[in-house]
Amino acid sequence: MANEGLLRTDECRRFDAELGPYLEGEGRPFVPAHATQCRFCEVVLADLEAIRSAGRALPLEGPSPAVWANVRANLRAEGIIHEPVSLWQQWLGSNGFLRTHAPLGALTALLVFAVVLLNTSRRPPHSPGTDFAGGEKVVSASIGLPDQQQLETTLLELETSFRAREATLDPALKAAYIRGLESLNESIRECSESVRRQPENTLARQYLLSAYTQKAEILETALEFDAH
Amino acid sequence: MSPQNKVAAKAVSETQLVRRAQKGDEEAFASLFEAHKRRVYSLCLRMTGNTAEAEDLTQEAFLQLFRKISTFRGESAFSTWLHRLAVNVVLMHLRKKGLQQISLDEPETSQEEPVKRDYGDDDRRLLGSVDRIGLEKAIAELPQGYRTVFVLHDVEGYEHNEIAEIMNCSVGNSKSQLHKARLKLREWLREDRRRTQPQSLATSASPQDER
Repeated sequence: MANEGLLRTDECRRFDAELGPYLEGEGRPFVPAHATQCRFCEVVLADLEAIRSAGRALPLEGPSPAVWANVRANLRAEGIIHEPVSLWQQWLGSNGFLRTHAPLGALTALLVFAVVLLNTSRRPPHSPGTDFAGGEKVVSASIGLPDQQQLETTLLELETSFRAREATLDPALKAAYIRGLESLNESIRECSESVRRQPENTLARQYLLSAYTQKAEILETALEFDAH
Repeated sequence: MSPQNKVAAKAVSETQLVRRAQKGDEEAFASLFEAHKRRVYSLCLRMTGNTAEAEDLTQEAFLQLFRKISTFRGESAFSTWLHRLAVNVVLMHLRKKGLQQISLDEPETSQEEPVKRDYGDDDRRLLGSVDRIGLEKAIAELPQGYRTVFVLHDVEGYEHNEIAEIMNCSVGNSKSQLHKARLKLREWLREDRRRTQPQSLATSASPQDER
């Protein structure tokens, strides 16, 4: 057999010609038969079978995390991915008022500061109804905080998450967030006091709700920034 | 759970993920990406031989898929759809780069090229010793046409009729290119082995030649 292997024969040429089809599953009994007779053809056959098996067994490799980050950013920018709905947003979703009155919410946010300023300077309470009678009328039917406890619980959860992660924020950014939150906490305290003194004051309740909204938005922004 | 049940459970789970993704659920997109990223990236990497290109193409494949996900009706398996799309993305990229130098429609020549044989070297076959890194390197060195067919068939498990459809060539050409690719790989792997294990040549000092 050793001597046979050193010679190039017509059988070896036939082996070469039939090797490819044989490896692709075509019935070529000559190929394995010749391989048992010729050491070199046997090695060729064994090598190619080994390469075929090795190809199937190659392990998978993974891309860097940047790939998903880019895919996600693109999908968000194109509006294919919807923003995740947080507890806070779910609460807002169940309260149809804010969802449909965003511009009014922005207006009331400004009013919060006006109320704070008025209370701080201890000037006689200014009736916003005279300035914003239309707005008050629009919201009067749905004003109030029927789920205030749930709302405060949600805010507390957001605030706890923020506190847990604030150490990872850039110091300047963290200071800005904390200043904003402190200001809003002060507004909430003031508005809550107004509502406690005048439970029928629907506008004060609206200011309070707006302050809660802003606080939740700031907390969510901070958490999202941290997540990125 | 039996393997069949696992497969069924996975399919159901994937169908649910696709439905959620069709509604814009980010978690569902993330899960689908996580489940398939390795296979898509590996395909891109082996077809291009370049990690940066492979990442770009993986990103492009998933973006195209997710943009079209609302049209997915489940006529085929999601993974089949994704991988076919990924192959098309890579091929399109290669064509744009002008790398498709070796047409799969070139004339059949495999019978004209004799198999290289090393006399006196029969005891150093590759059988059982094709190392992964060497093979990856050799695949990356293959001419683009050979590489594409080898990766699709021997690595990804596509059938020749599928490759012929993807590459717009005949089944015979696909088979021929695959055989040539394997022969090329064998040649390089053996050369690589000679370089890295020269001491083993001492036992087989007889002249090397081709028939």
